[in-house]
Amino acid sequence: MDRKRVPGPELSVAPLVEYPIDHERWTPQQEKRHDPKRQPEDLRPIYLKTGLISQASGSAYIELENTKLACGVYGPRPVKKIGQGFSGMGVLNCDFKFATFACVKRRNNTRQDPQEKELSQILSQALAPAVRLELLPKSVIDVYITVLESDGWGSCLAAAITAASVALAHAGIEMLDLVAGCSASYMQIGPSISSTTTETSSSSGAGNPITPQIQIFMDADTEEEKYEQGAIVLAYMPSLNEVTHLLQNGKAEGPIINQSVEHCMEACNKVYAVMHHALLESMKESKDA
Amino acid sequence: MPGLISPAERDYILKGIECNIRADGRQRPDYREVILETGVVSQTSGSARVRIAGGSDVLVSVKAEIGSPSASQQFEGRGADDLNNELTQMMSRFLHHTKTTFTTPSSSSSQGSAGAGASTTAGSSSSTGGINLSKLCIIPGQQCWILYIDALVLDYGGNLMDAILMGTRAAIFDTQIPKTEVQDLGDGQFEFEVLDDAEDTDIVEGREDMPICVTLNKVGARHIVDASPLEELCTEAKLVVAVNRSGELCGLQKGNDGGIEPSLLLEMIQFGKTMGQTLIKQLDLKIKEEADSDLAKRQRGEPIQKLGFFAQ
Repeated sequence: MDRKRVPGPELSVAPLVEYPIDHERWTPQQEKRHDPKRQPEDLRPIYLKTGLISQASGSAYIELENTKLACGVYGPRPVKKIGQGFSGMGVLNCDFKFATFACVKRRNNTRQDPQEKELSQILSQALAPAVRLELLPKSVIDVYITVLESDGWGSCLAAAITAASVALAHAGIEMLDLVAGCSASYMQIGPSISSTTTETSSSSGAGNPITPQIQIFMDADTEEEKYEQGAIVLAYMPSLNEVTHLLQNGKAEGPIINQSVEHCMEACNKVYAVMHHALLESMKESKDA
Repeated sequence: MPGLISPAERDYILKGIECNIRADGRQRPDYREVILETGVVSQTSGSARVRIAGGSDVLVSVKAEIGSPSASQQFEGRGADDLNNELTQMMSRFLHHTKTTFTTPSSSSSQGSAGAGASTTAGSSSSTGGINLSKLCIIPGQQCWILYIDALVLDYGGNLMDAILMGTRAAIFDTQIPKTEVQDLGDGQFEFEVLDDAEDTDIVEGREDMPICVTLNKVGARHIVDASPLEELCTEAKLVVAVNRSGELCGLQKGNDGGIEPSLLLEMIQFGKTMGQTLIKQLDLKIKEEADSDLAKRQRGEPIQKLGFFAQ
């Protein structure tokens, strides 16, 4: 028997698929987001809880609707290999991992791919200014992030930063401040996507013939990210008033960047309140127990 | 890359920067002399070598090959693990900023790979930034030109990222893609032929929009550009600002384990933007000068003299 041939019937019929009435694809329109209940500056509601991983020194779980990730902090532990050399400062070892089912496309889970490696690096750079690593010479702190569900690349990174700093605090590691993360996407808004795409392709030359209207959407989800012109992820320590990480991609004029940085800082202040609340709750729980 | 710096040396550099005079006599916003040469490797579609006086030496080559457009881009690099990954991802972010790719399924993808450098570093890149990818398409959905951009770090002397992106831009400017002729055989069948004429070639469309980057190193409360390896060791936080000719920001990334105050951050972005724009203008001028003189020589039948690899 030929195994490679598909033994299908001779006659085939297209399946009947009933689309819901409001199946129309979402396109960026002013003041209207993919989730119509949200305003451009609104974040998704955040659920943040500490102590879900019992074996870890500190842990946190964060959920922004469909962005879900868990963070475990282990350590500080001594540097394992002697050959790694003496370090007067502690080392933050971050490990960012997407679950195989976290994204639209299945990810191979055997090794960290380049994107995960980079996210790990960004995460450690974002957290390092807050952690008092000078108090922990010759030691390593392990921070493990597992993304269970990803809805928006930027929001995923921002959530990881937020969760990781809460987990570090929960582990009782001395920090100068909590780091709050926030993401924003900016995109051209217009009545239909067909006109916007022609605009972007025609504007690849010098100077735009039509000045497009740019709208900043905070905490964009996957659907919104499809249309984004660029995105920004900001990590910020609200009490110290210091930016610990900034990541931006996509073309943008200077004022848009400045505006999104400011928006992100404001949003970080809101996230900070949630982080505070979560840590206070964990204190209460440990007291009751 | 030297990994350690003595406290005395750090103090010396810090105080110098505070007084606006650096160890090699430069001021804070001064670049070192940049030596740029295009067309250095004959087997490539376009190549460039960038040397920053005092160390960094990067050879960038662009090779155009025919392949089928794949859904995803690939960025790979070899060499020192972390840095290599960082540079690769940063480049992919800076260069991959036009969103034309997802709307045109026929557009090309590009890949990058890199070799290991003489020192510990190697970077690689892939580019779609600013480049009009639909022009690289030969048969929609089937065949396209793939631009492989390879950056080889020959020597390290600080400020690698700026050198790599400068080289990439120059190499793309130098790139000549052969013209193709497509025949429609009917039934959705196409056949194409690559015209074998060295004189009649296409340039990479949209190359003017390629960004370059300026790395700002925050040392103390000040920021400097084009840091030397020792200055890089004193850097608390660095900010890489990618900017194109029209002054649009194409990417921002903070590096190193330090924070930046918001007001300083905005100042640094602004500074990087103006710095990058002037740098691009001067680069373009030089690239054009070189291309013009090469063309004139070729028309007169004179040999084109290149500095070559042993020039100092």
